[in-house]
Amino acid sequence: MKAIKAIYNFIVGDMIILIGVLIVAIALGLIGYVAALAPLRVAIGPILIVAVLVILSATLYREARGKR
Amino acid sequence: MQWAIASAAFLASAVEFVEAFTIVLVVGVTINWRSSLVGAFAAAATLALIVATLGVAIVQLIPINVLRLVVGIILILFGLKWLKKAILRYSGLKALHDEEAIFEEKMAEIRARGETIAPRLHPFGVALAYKAVLLEGLEVAFIVITFGSSISKAATSSGITSAAIGAAIAGVLVICAGILVKAPLKKVPENTLKFVVGIMLTSFGTFWSGEGFHYDWPLSDAFIPILAAIFLLASYLLVTLLKQQKRHQLAAAGAPHDIVSVEAQEEVRS
Repeated sequence: MKAIKAIYNFIVGDMIILIGVLIVAIALGLIGYVAALAPLRVAIGPILIVAVLVILSATLYREARGKR
Repeated sequence: MQWAIASAAFLASAVEFVEAFTIVLVVGVTINWRSSLVGAFAAAATLALIVATLGVAIVQLIPINVLRLVVGIILILFGLKWLKKAILRYSGLKALHDEEAIFEEKMAEIRARGETIAPRLHPFGVALAYKAVLLEGLEVAFIVITFGSSISKAATSSGITSAAIGAAIAGVLVICAGILVKAPLKKVPENTLKFVVGIMLTSFGTFWSGEGFHYDWPLSDAFIPILAAIFLLASYLLVTLLKQQKRHQLAAAGAPHDIVSVEAQEEVRS
């Protein structure tokens, strides 16, 4: 358990960033490999950029609320 | 010597070398040179082992897109972590006097006493430099092999040699340019450097993750500065918003002065 926590702290140390990035990776993986979602493949880049910005805003928002 | 292949490999490899060297440089300046160089040399050794073992079969055997995806996602994680801390400091929501600052203060005290400090190996810095050099080095190997093999089969050997010479010259030039900018970079305030590193890691991570998902970025590698500009602009807006929010909170609470905010502003000014 200590090892897992050390790895988590070493890589990211923030649950919102970790879960957010994993959700985006899974969603983009589905878009990339599921035929039904093929029309969305041209938007992978913009989706990725927006998702990164949303994750950053979300974690900053949580920090800002926590400081109140 | 086939000049067309050597020139093409030179230009393509130069872009990859710049990407790898940028990360090695910022790890060296922001963390320490020992970690940065250990990571870079370890990656170079791994790369040499892979190329020596697999040879030209490397193009078929290494799933470069999977590697881009994994490295890209890890860089986004690292980048967002750094960017978040830097934005919080700039907006005054995070006190500068945290554990890292205390550590830096102690280091400064030791330096002031005239004692020398052996730079400790920082796993984060080593991993960052290692991943960047390994990924970009593999891309250079791919460029050399694919460009070198792009001509007739009979001339493949001389083609690879020409491409390798072009790539090697690009590598040497990029390293020389990096050494020249090393000194001016030391004058930049630490939090600013960390903010820039956060922007760069997030930009590289986003770019490589997109490539890992088989997305063709417009303008290819030239889109990385555009990504950096997007994240820079967004970070500026976030800092402004957070500062406003903090001002409203202070006004509502009736606090006349805020030490954290003043500290952060002083650091931004410095």
